[in-house]
Amino acid sequence: MESLSAASYQALYLLFTGDSALWTIIGISFSVSVRALIYAAPFAILTAFMLAYFTFPGRRLLVSIFNTALSIPAVVVGLTLYILLSKAGPLGSWRLLFSQDAMILGQIGLCFPLLVAMAHSALQASDRRAWETALTLGASPLRALMTILHETRFGLIGALVASFGRIIAEVGSSMMLGGNILNYTRNIPTAIALETSKGSFAEGIALGMVLLFMALFLNILLGQLQGKGEVTQ
Amino acid sequence: MSMDSNTPWLKLHDLTFNRGERTILNNLSLEFRAGELILMTGQNGSGKTTLLRILAGLMKPRRVEFEIAGKRLNWRQSYRFLREQVCYLHQHPYLFDCSVYDNIAYGLKRKKLSRQAIGARVAEALELISLEHLAKRNCQELSGGEKQRVAIARAWAIAPRLMLLDEPVSNLDKRSRAICYDLINQLQQQQIGVVYTSHEPQTGKLNLNRHIHLYEGELSTKSLETECPLTVIELKKGNVGK
Repeated sequence: MESLSAASYQALYLLFTGDSALWTIIGISFSVSVRALIYAAPFAILTAFMLAYFTFPGRRLLVSIFNTALSIPAVVVGLTLYILLSKAGPLGSWRLLFSQDAMILGQIGLCFPLLVAMAHSALQASDRRAWETALTLGASPLRALMTILHETRFGLIGALVASFGRIIAEVGSSMMLGGNILNYTRNIPTAIALETSKGSFAEGIALGMVLLFMALFLNILLGQLQGKGEVTQ
Repeated sequence: MSMDSNTPWLKLHDLTFNRGERTILNNLSLEFRAGELILMTGQNGSGKTTLLRILAGLMKPRRVEFEIAGKRLNWRQSYRFLREQVCYLHQHPYLFDCSVYDNIAYGLKRKKLSRQAIGARVAEALELISLEHLAKRNCQELSGGEKQRVAIARAWAIAPRLMLLDEPVSNLDKRSRAICYDLINQLQQQQIGVVYTSHEPQTGKLNLNRHIHLYEGELSTKSLETECPLTVIELKKGNVGK
């Protein structure tokens, strides 16, 4: 087993020399997770808005379901979708298993409840007067919704960042639904798992560093954005 | 649309609103004329704010009929019209998290006016409230009195036929109150109808035309105070539940 310092040195070398295999994995990871977030976010935020602003039968039950879904392990989401998408499953004819689309579905399943729960918290804390003010100034309900989203943007950005952090680092559903195929479905977490099992730590550490840098970058970005949203004196 | 200012442009009939088992407003009938300044008094929980929100098309009552241009319409048929013609200001007005200029321009943008037209109207509104120097200031940084003035200017900018002011001066100091009263009188001179709610009939220098009083949901006729010597218009009294 190579020493940690030697592996770390090699990891940095791989990163900064633009090792194509490594950067392909990083590219797949970001591409899949960003697309999952883009597909999930509008529906999740709209759901959160309906839960926060309208009263309808089953609303509390829905809130409880989304809060419960926060603690579902990634591997359970992966397993459920695997059963649905496998050849013998009800969605087998879609032929999605072991593809990036299947990974996206899995990541949507993971981030959707988190997005709804966090966006719901942000919207619930928003001021109902903003909605009424927008309407009384002639805004359509859709335009009033956009205004509310703008007013709660700091909380919503926090929800997006937290959700992205969850799906880009999850290994369970990506492994089961993507199959860890090189240059196609191998992303950062599945590659780390594979390289570690082979005893090849340098690539694993390099990919881990990317995740760490990304987490640091997102936190700084979020801190900057939320700093502007501080409570006024 | 030209209309005799004595002709009501909006009437509401048989307004009933319940909250759970409790009847807040029952069988009220009211009418509104251009440029009319109406004082609505009543204690907390008497239904003032509820009535204003229904008039603004923001709240659906159990039963109501609006009469607009001679046509009798239910709430579903009329709430969009009300949202276009009536502007409601909360007791503590909500200003969006952006500049004074953008707040005043908000309703104008919804009317799809040109940028020049919006700029000109916002400038007029700022002049009306004498806050031209704060155009670029974020609204969260304004004082309570300034916020109230910006909210009135924002509503005025979209030229509503009726403005509903929910206790607009309740938290203001004497000077800010005087400025607000002047503003409200100016609205009246511009033929904008105003409904002004208050706990008390003491309304400074407002040129009131009518006085509505709600007491535990009951509508009663009140004469205008001696400092507001204008005609008392009899309200159609409904049987109001408790």
